Amino acid sequence: MFYMLLVCLTELGGLFLRSIAVSNSMLYTGFLIIECSMISTFFYYTFYKYYPKSKWIYAWFALFLIAYIAELVDNHFSIFSYRTTTFMSVAFVIASLYYYLLITRDEKFRKLGSDPQFWVINGILFFYFGSTACNVFFDYLIHEVSPISQSIRYITFNILNILLYSCWSYAFICRYRQRI
Amino acid sequence: MQISSKDLIYLITLITFIFLIAPLFLIIYISLYNQKKAKHAEEKAALKKTFELELLKSQIEVQENILQMIASNLHDNIGQLLSLTSMTLSSIQMDSKREEKIKTAGELTLRAIQELRQLSKRMNGQELIKKNLAHAITYELDWLRRGTEYEINFRDNTTHSIPENADIELILFRLFQETISNIIKHAEATVIDITLDQVPGLLTLRVKDNGKGFVLADKLKTSEGMGLSNLSKRAAMMNGTFNVTSSEEVGTEILVSIPYI
Repeated sequence: MFYMLLVCLTELGGLFLRSIAVSNSMLYTGFLIIECSMISTFFYYTFYKYYPKSKWIYAWFALFLIAYIAELVDNHFSIFSYRTTTFMSVAFVIASLYYYLLITRDEKFRKLGSDPQFWVINGILFFYFGSTACNVFFDYLIHEVSPISQSIRYITFNILNILLYSCWSYAFICRYRQRI
Repeated sequence: MQISSKDLIYLITLITFIFLIAPLFLIIYISLYNQKKAKHAEEKAALKKTFELELLKSQIEVQENILQMIASNLHDNIGQLLSLTSMTLSSIQMDSKREEKIKTAGELTLRAIQELRQLSKRMNGQELIKKNLAHAITYELDWLRRGTEYEINFRDNTTHSIPENADIELILFRLFQETISNIIKHAEATVIDITLDQVPGLLTLRVKDNGKGFVLADKLKTSEGMGLSNLSKRAAMMNGTFNVTSSEEVGTEILVSIPYI
């Protein structure tokens, strides 16, 4: 819930900065750390019952921070860290696919239709896998100022956000049903 | 060759679309696989249950055969020996001194023969069930009345017997014997009510006592609960239902219903 609040605040901040004609890329670059921490922590707890070790999450955080800082320095803190975002997306897609592999290997049957973890990961996979093309061509899309290229990125991320938050909302409903 | 801006945008849209379709298919595949896994687990559980029931059936068959063998040995061998002893005792030329003792020995031998025949008949279930289940229950209760001081009430509401169902009647009879044995061992009851009901397609046996009762959930956790579980399995073996209702200091009621067609 706190993470969702941070997402809303970041989006509102981004809109505000854009309305006053100030670049909001650094705001979103800063938010990248929160996003990565949140999703990585979620994966850590998801995989914990299969691998109850915390070494890999520290290694992943270290790797992410190296990529993140290296790109920031390379960009002179001026544009959005899209390469780190792509790197992070790939890692999350692999983690999601690995989760599916664990499900298929798991001898214990679980009702996936009402499994919160499954739906959170579905949302993650849709968002990060679907945004790969936009992230890969980010450099092109950011420099192409034609309305069509701007709108394609806008529409894509709107669709991805709807998919992500729909899956997460459903996951919250499933979790709520499990508790009552 | 330079790719035009329009082509690139088209390419990005297409890639994004494909990248959205791929997870969708993956999720559908995982869900279908999971359903298959659920079905497999259900089949495995059903197979396990069938195996357990078959095992139980075999155990009951073996037990029944052993009981039959012991019963015929008792009747044919020991029974004959006792009859011979009785005849020998009766043929002795008695004088006044020994007359009393020999007479007593003869009477004891005759009682032993009688008890032995009854015991042998009880053990030989197939023989006992030949007439019908109600007859077997009556015989069992007569045996029980002689040795104990229970107030026993038996109501037989059956209309007709189906000879083809002798096997399941025998299992139900053994189940009844075990229930009575449990009442004697654990219930501390004074009254036992037995009702045998028959409606089209269903035979129901109800055994009720006024004993100390128990908390079913607690009982199932202990080794004594195994006996109840065993009875339940036997009822399941006949595609029937087994219900236990018990209240502490009130008593216990056991209800077994089996298809009877």
